[in-house]
Amino acid sequence: MPTRRSFLASLAATVPLAVFVRRAHAAAVVHLQGDPATLDALALTVLPSRLGRPGIAREAASFRDWAANYKESAELVHGYGTSRLRSTGPTPLTRWTTQLDQLDADAQRLHQHRFRELSAANREQVVRDALKGERLDRMPTVVDANHVAVALLAHFYESPGAADLCYEAQIGRQTCRPLAAQSSKPRPILKVLER
Amino acid sequence: MNRRAIETDVCIVGSGISAAMIAERLARTTSAKILVIEAGDDTVPLAQRPAARERFLRYNENPWGVDHLEGYEVVGPLQSRSMQVGGLAMHWGAVTPRFSPEDFKQHSLYGVGTDWPITYEELDPFYQEAEELMGVAGAQGPDDLDPRGKPFPLPAIPLTYNLELLKKWASSAGIVMWSQPAAKNSIPYRGRPTCCRNDTCSPICPIGAKYSPDFTWNALRKTNRIALTTRMLVRKLVLSPDGKSVSHAIAVNRDRPDEPVELHAKQFVVAAGYTWSSHLLLLSAQDKAPNGVANSSGLVGKYLAGHRNVQTTVELPLKLYPGMNEQHSLVTKQFMRLKSGSEYIRHDLRIWESSSGRTARLIDDAGALMLGDAILDDWRRRTRTGTARVRAYYDVIPDRSSELTLDATRKNAYGDPLPKLAFRDAPESESMRGRTEESIRGLFADMARAGNGRLLRAPTVDNFQDHPSGGCRMGNDASSSVVDSWGRTHDHANLFVVGAPTCVSGSCANATLTFCALALRSARELEKALPRSTTTRSGTVE
Repeated sequence: MPTRRSFLASLAATVPLAVFVRRAHAAAVVHLQGDPATLDALALTVLPSRLGRPGIAREAASFRDWAANYKESAELVHGYGTSRLRSTGPTPLTRWTTQLDQLDADAQRLHQHRFRELSAANREQVVRDALKGERLDRMPTVVDANHVAVALLAHFYESPGAADLCYEAQIGRQTCRPLAAQSSKPRPILKVLER
Repeated sequence: MNRRAIETDVCIVGSGISAAMIAERLARTTSAKILVIEAGDDTVPLAQRPAARERFLRYNENPWGVDHLEGYEVVGPLQSRSMQVGGLAMHWGAVTPRFSPEDFKQHSLYGVGTDWPITYEELDPFYQEAEELMGVAGAQGPDDLDPRGKPFPLPAIPLTYNLELLKKWASSAGIVMWSQPAAKNSIPYRGRPTCCRNDTCSPICPIGAKYSPDFTWNALRKTNRIALTTRMLVRKLVLSPDGKSVSHAIAVNRDRPDEPVELHAKQFVVAAGYTWSSHLLLLSAQDKAPNGVANSSGLVGKYLAGHRNVQTTVELPLKLYPGMNEQHSLVTKQFMRLKSGSEYIRHDLRIWESSSGRTARLIDDAGALMLGDAILDDWRRRTRTGTARVRAYYDVIPDRSSELTLDATRKNAYGDPLPKLAFRDAPESESMRGRTEESIRGLFADMARAGNGRLLRAPTVDNFQDHPSGGCRMGNDASSSVVDSWGRTHDHANLFVVGAPTCVSGSCANATLTFCALALRSARELEKALPRSTTTRSGTVE
């Protein structure tokens, strides 16, 4: 009877690595899309409440979409001053789904409930424990985030919507906007809500 | 071995922005048969750019598809790996300042470097022509600093709310600044729409408001005015038996490498940028030109030019809104003109809005992890004041040993040695480097003080010499230059090198508009040897 390790070794020897990795990514996408509740609960824990529950749900869905459409070995934008080409790395999603499972496992171990079933305070404590030892001295890019909680934060905070929420103004960074309007101070977002 | 021969009047090697300028003008003013040869692939069509941009924004993926040749990892600071229809100007920032009059007579005025064989005034009409072809939007700076014969073709990109505030700040420091000219539509122009501030001009404009050479190529191809062949690499220029002209070029079709192609033309135009132009001339060494074509002076590949920059971020007591139009900036040429008797320290100055030091963070000042509302609250507190990015490109006089050579240790798939690049300052620049950078640091500190602000970080120097050019510099003396002021090689009557390689020096401003003006001036000379157009065409290319 082959062991799990020897089975994986023989699989790796017979299935090209790229195919193996693609399948792992696809499996992680299915896992995340099939049971998004842990991610949704994580989003409720780490994203600002000012987004409101529907807004937080939209951000979580947007993050899932980002992860599902990630491509490995895609050529990155060229750097200036070098002929070196760079490509995207391995999918982070397999790691992130494992971490989501771990949040659930930690919740069960500490509170005898799944992560999604915990109170806000307990969810936050589980997340804080999970982030111990993580490098947090800067907000990374999404793909560079080691932990899924940080990735979710990075995904939101690099969005144009986050900047608008911070500045409480309709800046609309990286969106198509009338050129002439740029001479004026951006309108407050409150005005939008009031309309 | 089968050898296919193609006959044409004008053979243009390369399809970047200089090539597009020259082809457009020749197509308009002559009836010559024009063949353009591009080693890379066609570029991504405009309709596909919004999706490509989206993936760039989300994943930092290259939005330009297959835009390079495999196996072209070269030693030295290659500006960009891109090689496709449109060249590097597919992903340029479309920033289009002119050089200043002083750039063309550095030696006469200041006793450094080498004078160009043309003056600013001679180039002015070609600057204008390039600006009209591309659609440059600009504000007239002070006449003495920013002279021009005619107004900009398009009104300036308006200053953002942020830049208006930053302009006042600069003014308080005694600096007169204005809207940086750009080849971006401030109004609809030649079938392309007005810029709508997508903020990703470089690397990709999703709507075509930014000029890129593919618009010119598409128009010329649509009217069958030129033939543009992609995936064909020109490997050698072969001289006539007397060595006085180019007989033909030898190229390889990348899809059928076993069938070499001979390109026969009355006029050859090498428009392959600062790297690949010199590279091709050196690769073309033969009995009549043992050191490479057009290289009797030994200067092909020499005097590569560019400029370094010093930059920093300044924290200011201003409420700014980063993201209004991140790639637009203020500019001044105030420091490009020396005061009488002062040291040779020349630089430009730009100011952009910035979010540097003002992005969301995960830990607070005490090192505690923030989650939920705490991150947003912290971010809001820290954005009550703003930051600005300031940068000065400073003039670097190129040394003869600032050079491109053939690298015997690295070859492409066809066995040709790749280029090797090394930039070196001339002694006068080398001796001034420390004082130049110190002067710029002092200026930044003065500016911060004038605005009751502070430098957020110590100014840094980018050692990469940006906006590179040179390698086939122009001049009147065949012993100290490769081409004449029109881009015609001193050695071969029917061989022109145009655009970037012909620059004598790199100024302290983005150089692409100057490359275009020089290319159009070359076209003016080239057309003398070609049949005039029998139909009247307007300058409209789109």
